Amino acid sequence: MLALIRMSLRNLFRQKRRNLLLGSAIAVGVLLLVVANSFSRGISDVMINKVLRWVTGHVTVAYNERSRMASEIFRDKDRINAILDQHKDVILQREEAIGAFVKAIGVGKADNLMLIGLDFSAAGNEKSRKETEEAFRLIGGNWDDLNNSTAENPLIISQEKARYLGVKIGDILRIRLRNIYSQDQSARATVMGIVKSDNIFMQPVAFIDMQKIKDIMGFDAHSTGILNLIIKDPMRNAQPLADALHKQLNASLAVIPAAAQKSDLPITVLGYRSDPDSRDKLSKLLTLRQGAWDTLWKDKTALVSAPLAQRLRLKPGSSLEVRYTDKWGNANTPMLIKVGGIFDPQKVWGENTILANDEKFYEQFYEHWPRAAQPNEQAAIPGTSHTAYALLAPEWILLPRTLTTEDLEKKYQDMGKKKQKATLIDVRTMYEAGKMVLQLEGVLNLITLTAALILLFITLIGVINTLRMTIRERTREIGTIRAIGMQQKDVRNLFLFESFFLALFASIAGVILALLIMWGLSSITLRMDDNPLGMMLVNGHLYFLPTIWSVLGNMLLVLVLVVVTAFFPARRAAKLSPVEALRHTE
Amino acid sequence: MKKTAKNIIEISGLTKDYPLGNTTVNALRGIDLNVQEGAFTSIIGPSGSGKTTLLNIIGCIDTATRGSVKVAGHEITGLNDKQITDLRLHTIGFIFQTFNLIPVLDVLENIEFPLLLMKKHSGAEIRQRAEKLADLVGLGEHVKHRPAELSGGQRQRVAIARALVTSPSLVLADEPTANLDSVTGGQILEVMRQMNRLEKTTFIFSTHDANVLKYAIGVTKLKDGVITAN
Repeated sequence: MLALIRMSLRNLFRQKRRNLLLGSAIAVGVLLLVVANSFSRGISDVMINKVLRWVTGHVTVAYNERSRMASEIFRDKDRINAILDQHKDVILQREEAIGAFVKAIGVGKADNLMLIGLDFSAAGNEKSRKETEEAFRLIGGNWDDLNNSTAENPLIISQEKARYLGVKIGDILRIRLRNIYSQDQSARATVMGIVKSDNIFMQPVAFIDMQKIKDIMGFDAHSTGILNLIIKDPMRNAQPLADALHKQLNASLAVIPAAAQKSDLPITVLGYRSDPDSRDKLSKLLTLRQGAWDTLWKDKTALVSAPLAQRLRLKPGSSLEVRYTDKWGNANTPMLIKVGGIFDPQKVWGENTILANDEKFYEQFYEHWPRAAQPNEQAAIPGTSHTAYALLAPEWILLPRTLTTEDLEKKYQDMGKKKQKATLIDVRTMYEAGKMVLQLEGVLNLITLTAALILLFITLIGVINTLRMTIRERTREIGTIRAIGMQQKDVRNLFLFESFFLALFASIAGVILALLIMWGLSSITLRMDDNPLGMMLVNGHLYFLPTIWSVLGNMLLVLVLVVVTAFFPARRAAKLSPVEALRHTE
Repeated sequence: MKKTAKNIIEISGLTKDYPLGNTTVNALRGIDLNVQEGAFTSIIGPSGSGKTTLLNIIGCIDTATRGSVKVAGHEITGLNDKQITDLRLHTIGFIFQTFNLIPVLDVLENIEFPLLLMKKHSGAEIRQRAEKLADLVGLGEHVKHRPAELSGGQRQRVAIARALVTSPSLVLADEPTANLDSVTGGQILEVMRQMNRLEKTTFIFSTHDANVLKYAIGVTKLKDGVITAN
């Protein structure tokens, strides 16, 4: 083996000019492959770790309350946080993503802004602040002014938008947005800072203090917006974390353990699902003693169990006020119930059960989240195995996990067709959510790799030709070594080693050149403020991300391609008849 | 009683036909030949008489059309490529008219080369054996030279050392002096004869030069593919 390696290395220097030319071609191929690959990796990094990470985080816990457009709210923040706390080892950062598309009216002109809430004051957000400040370079004002209490709703906007709206620092903008109740809301905001944006995607972004936007949007202290989670090693951990969170977010039945207003009579209030299918099943399951189903559905009224109706002297058309303690200890939270029917509880339901229409029920439930039902109160609730369970309102609806963007889109389409009364919760990863961005990355990868591979392919034709020429010139030598006693496989390996070493040296040269070129290109400052291509830049510079493994991978690819290409001419050389080879003359 | 030497070559009814365009050339026509171990014998004949073809078949680098060829007790006609290559490596040494040294290896490396292919000797053993042979052929001072830096005679000496390095039973030399002047050619034949004596190796060499014959112990005359005298 050593003798073969020694011979093959020395053979490389026999046709210096030819091997130098071929080696240069391979080096250029490797150079382009490494540069192209590093560039697309750089873009991937920008997409995944900068753009997508900013937009969706690595894992997102998203909500939509009662299918209202701007109601991306969950009203039990503590519950979500308790679940997330169990994954502290993986979750590096949780960011509340509260933002709104707003119409900003400046001096004689209006434009759309994407208003994003920033919470620089919270512990652990230093890194996030640093990243924001790096990505959006302030050219006027101060980031700390977002918390300036003397100004009305301090705002930081981009230079381009400020110019378009005709405002400067200290000026007032009027903003109009839709709050969590889907109502139009308007507010005044003071421009306190102006940032320079690196690309067009950053231009519409405007920043406001998180608490300010929460107030404008209608969030209370117990509510949370969509949570973007930044995690360790997202490629590995995103899907398992999303699956685990999804499992833990499984909903129970929504129960309001209440009491009648004038007595301490315990009453269990549940919600019934009012979609046509559930209504149909419920009407078959329950025996109505008083009232009519049609009226009940139309008026969105409640069903009261017969013993309770008897005790409180209720009948269809009467009203009842119950009181309960909410999750945060507020006793005597009132709930008004309009009775539409009296049903026979049989043995399934507790004697003092009220089934409220889910639309009415959720209004109460989410606005004043009740304390959890005690074990003795749960006895009146049908178990999960009972037919009635599926007809009752859950705390929320957890959307199924989806692994692909197609499934995610289908899920949202299906969801959009039904107007849900409950809050929907979805757990997704950026790999499902960032289809467009990741697709763009894939396309760029494909284009650059195809171009580099075409060049490599041309180079490989050169490898074949050179090897054929070399074999032809060395035919007598092949005859000699075969006559002396070299086996066919060793002759083949001799030529494979030669190709391998040529490709290896050329690859190393190509990688070194590629690193130099990338260093040179990335040190040039480019200005592409108004050009979509600007998204490929980081702080005005081309961004390459060569990693040791990607570079080694590229080298390995070239080496394998060259050796595989060389295999066939090498095998033909090995199969030459010794006597024919010895007779060969040029 | 005088001990009879064993035959290292036993050939009977050997025929070799070449296709040449639409015709067939009968290079060898029914050769019967035995060569004893330790012989220093020459195959002589004019150009085209079949000397090289006969040597190539004995050397297992060409195949017979018909007939039987036994080399060192092995019937070579039934062997596959790997077996034949092994037989060449372990049993036969070659000396070519055009020396056929490997240009990228120096004198010592050229001599070592067949031993390296055998893969059964240590590096030190190989080096020792190669140096000894380089000394024997008178190239002890030139071991680090590449073939391009040597004269024709020196190159042929390297080829002789290379042919002998594996201690083969048989060395075949196809017109070993054809590319050398008469003085150098004579020296090369002297070296071969000396090796024949020292290493007890059988030498068969072909020539069309009658002057070379004085070095041979036995002579086989070939004409038009037939042995005319033995």
